[in-house]
Amino acid sequence: MSRVVLPNYFLADLPAEAVIRGELVAEACLTLKRNRERFLQTRSTESILQILLETARAWQGPQSVWRAMALEEGPARTGFSREMIALGLDAYFKLWTARQLNALLQQEFAHPQRVDRLVANDSESLGGLTSRVRGPELLVHVTAGRLPTPVFTALLHGLLVKSAQFVKCASGGSFFARLFAHSLREIEPKIASCLEIAEWKGGTRDLEEALYAGADCVVASGSDATMDAVRATVPSRVRFLAHGHRVSAAYIAREMLGSDEEPNVTAAAAMDVAMWDQLGCLSPHVIFVEQGGMLAPEGFAARLADELERVEARWPRGTPAPEVSDAVFRRREFYRVRAAADPGTQCWFSRDSTAWSVVYEGDPQFQLSCLNRFVIVKPVETVEECLRQAEAQRTRWSTVGLAASGLRIPELAQRFAEWGITRICPLGRMQHPPLTWRHDGRPVLGDLVTWAQQELPWES
Amino acid sequence: MGATGLDELAASLISAIERGFEAAHFETLALELFALQYERNPAYRALCAASRATPGSVRDWTQIPHAPAAAFKELELTSLAPEQRTHVFHSSGTTGQRCSRHVHGSRSLALYEASLLASFEPHLLPESRGARDVRIVALTPAPSEAPHSSLAHMLERVMSRFGGEGSCFVGRVDSGGAWQVDPARLWTQLNAEEGAAGGARPVVMLGTAFGLVHLCDGLRELGLALELPPGSRVMETGGYKGRSRELDPEDLHRLVADTLGVGREWIVREYGMSELSSQAYDRRAGESGAGGRFHFPAWARARAISPETGRECAPGVPGLLRVWDLANVYSVAVLQTEDRVVADGAGFRVLGRAQTVEPRGCSLMSP
Repeated sequence: MSRVVLPNYFLADLPAEAVIRGELVAEACLTLKRNRERFLQTRSTESILQILLETARAWQGPQSVWRAMALEEGPARTGFSREMIALGLDAYFKLWTARQLNALLQQEFAHPQRVDRLVANDSESLGGLTSRVRGPELLVHVTAGRLPTPVFTALLHGLLVKSAQFVKCASGGSFFARLFAHSLREIEPKIASCLEIAEWKGGTRDLEEALYAGADCVVASGSDATMDAVRATVPSRVRFLAHGHRVSAAYIAREMLGSDEEPNVTAAAAMDVAMWDQLGCLSPHVIFVEQGGMLAPEGFAARLADELERVEARWPRGTPAPEVSDAVFRRREFYRVRAAADPGTQCWFSRDSTAWSVVYEGDPQFQLSCLNRFVIVKPVETVEECLRQAEAQRTRWSTVGLAASGLRIPELAQRFAEWGITRICPLGRMQHPPLTWRHDGRPVLGDLVTWAQQELPWES
Repeated sequence: MGATGLDELAASLISAIERGFEAAHFETLALELFALQYERNPAYRALCAASRATPGSVRDWTQIPHAPAAAFKELELTSLAPEQRTHVFHSSGTTGQRCSRHVHGSRSLALYEASLLASFEPHLLPESRGARDVRIVALTPAPSEAPHSSLAHMLERVMSRFGGEGSCFVGRVDSGGAWQVDPARLWTQLNAEEGAAGGARPVVMLGTAFGLVHLCDGLRELGLALELPPGSRVMETGGYKGRSRELDPEDLHRLVADTLGVGREWIVREYGMSELSSQAYDRRAGESGAGGRFHFPAWARARAISPETGRECAPGVPGLLRVWDLANVYSVAVLQTEDRVVADGAGFRVLGRAQTVEPRGCSLMSP
């Protein structure tokens, strides 16, 4: 396949030495809003759905040029292995189906044409109402990290509410966003003219002031410190939605170990650890394992290590940056020392690399991992003990990947939900949330829009 | 050397150091020491067990199992019996976590001193070997004020061996436990002596990087300059740990040159840790050249270790510094540090501390 060269279209396409100035950002914001008015506002939701589905198709299958580019250039630009990118992208775009998109619109707006015009569903008809929603004119995304899927999903949300969008990526983090925006441009250039992708180092004052001044809504994800910094720069009239630091963990019920299910459970846990090199807020730091099963929690940890070795052969971890190697090395040293002093701690480490690490620790307290395929297995007696040990992470725990018998799942899920975890999913799917996933438990599209409601005249 | 126990080995090492240690003996001695430490140091033996290394299986000094320097926080890495322990050096940790504890007794301190003096003298006093009347000014507090500081102990030993009239500690521990230098007092003191002695006795000033910054910044704020007499020199050690503004070595050395009148080639950098008994230096005082390349004495060796493979890096490839210090007889000879370095067989350059990385996840990385 011949190598595709992306034309200079977005700011992020400019050569690295090009200097972006505040005026340029301000001008881009105006252009985006103008283009939205001409090309996006008047377009039907149905037509936008078709374009999104066509884009998803363009990313799937061996003949996809976008996928090929992602696999070819992605490893050097993002630090993920080619195999990991292929696995992640394929799993992701499978979720972009008409059914999922309609489910999302139904969940958020209870009507498929809600963004197009005043409409009424059954309950509204009964109440004599029609209503519609309007998205922000210009929606700004401040993204962190190099994972492709969060930014793809963010762009999808913006298109569904017919917003012009400006994606401000972390420096060095625009590769996937750029690629995605170009794929949209090839399918419908008018829609792509309502998008801008740029990258600069967070905190660049003049650029960010110009950007936020032009925005109607800013959605940001990153560390808590970053959220505070962005919040301080966004003018008060602009809606600001922050997705700060979150962590996740898995929970394995005792009946799943030692049964016929055990190999599947172990494989699912290993995939959750390995997916996107564990670099998402949906990846498990810790795997809590109930004691009392046919396989003890430390036995599970040993099998998980074997499984991670198999996963490494097929979907290798990416090339680590020096600071990542250092961090894993230090963590390993820490646990090696602890294991020497405490028989309740055991370690399994990949040989000749920091590719994967499993630590079993008898102390059940929720412990943050250094990620990059480093997971800590902890024994618990009951779900109550697990939650007690996780108290310090209560406001941060996003997703629990759950493996339990069909009989116990409802009870466990109820308990996790009641405690405050916002997403409960089957083990093995932690990094594959559906399009209807409510990030941080917030409405998906609902936080972006404003409603207009019409009270119908009384029928005489 | 035929030593049968740690005490015998320590004694023969002291005499070897004092006679001029022969590099050819390093390997045999390292293996001999490993066998003894494995036997006498239970916490270290447990660490070795994890890597399945025993005196029977280790054939080469590079294979001797290491202890992470951080392990001194968690484990009692000593073969001294409780009643033999007279001193404990703490690391000045940056993290507010448990601090590192390196336990010493009279024999280990004798070895520490032999190692220290034998490498301090040729680096700081190369042209005046055997001098006993050097005017030494230590910017740290005295050991009586900072009993757990290996640096204060080190400078006190240096002073007691080489120091003459006018030698003093000018650092103080403030109520918050931080080290301070009073620049006005130091200025008055040095100038008064200057007048009394009728001039020009060179000063050997020893301190941490942050102590030097405190001193120079303080003098500048007061509008004072200290033109140290010709032949004066400065030994700079350690990092900043957030205790003053942080400067690149280049900028620090410019500041010292401008404020104290000590030229680049008279500023000697020292690399040491409370968990080690030997120190590395980057030049001999007065030697020209850029500096910044540290050398341990012949009884200690340094290598860069790849965090990925755990093996030695190829020359020029950055890794984490591991030190084999034979003078650490009563604790652990092989220490893994968290300093990023480039090393070859002869020396190493420090690139920085291992980063406490913020994972590059979707939720964690700063944009």
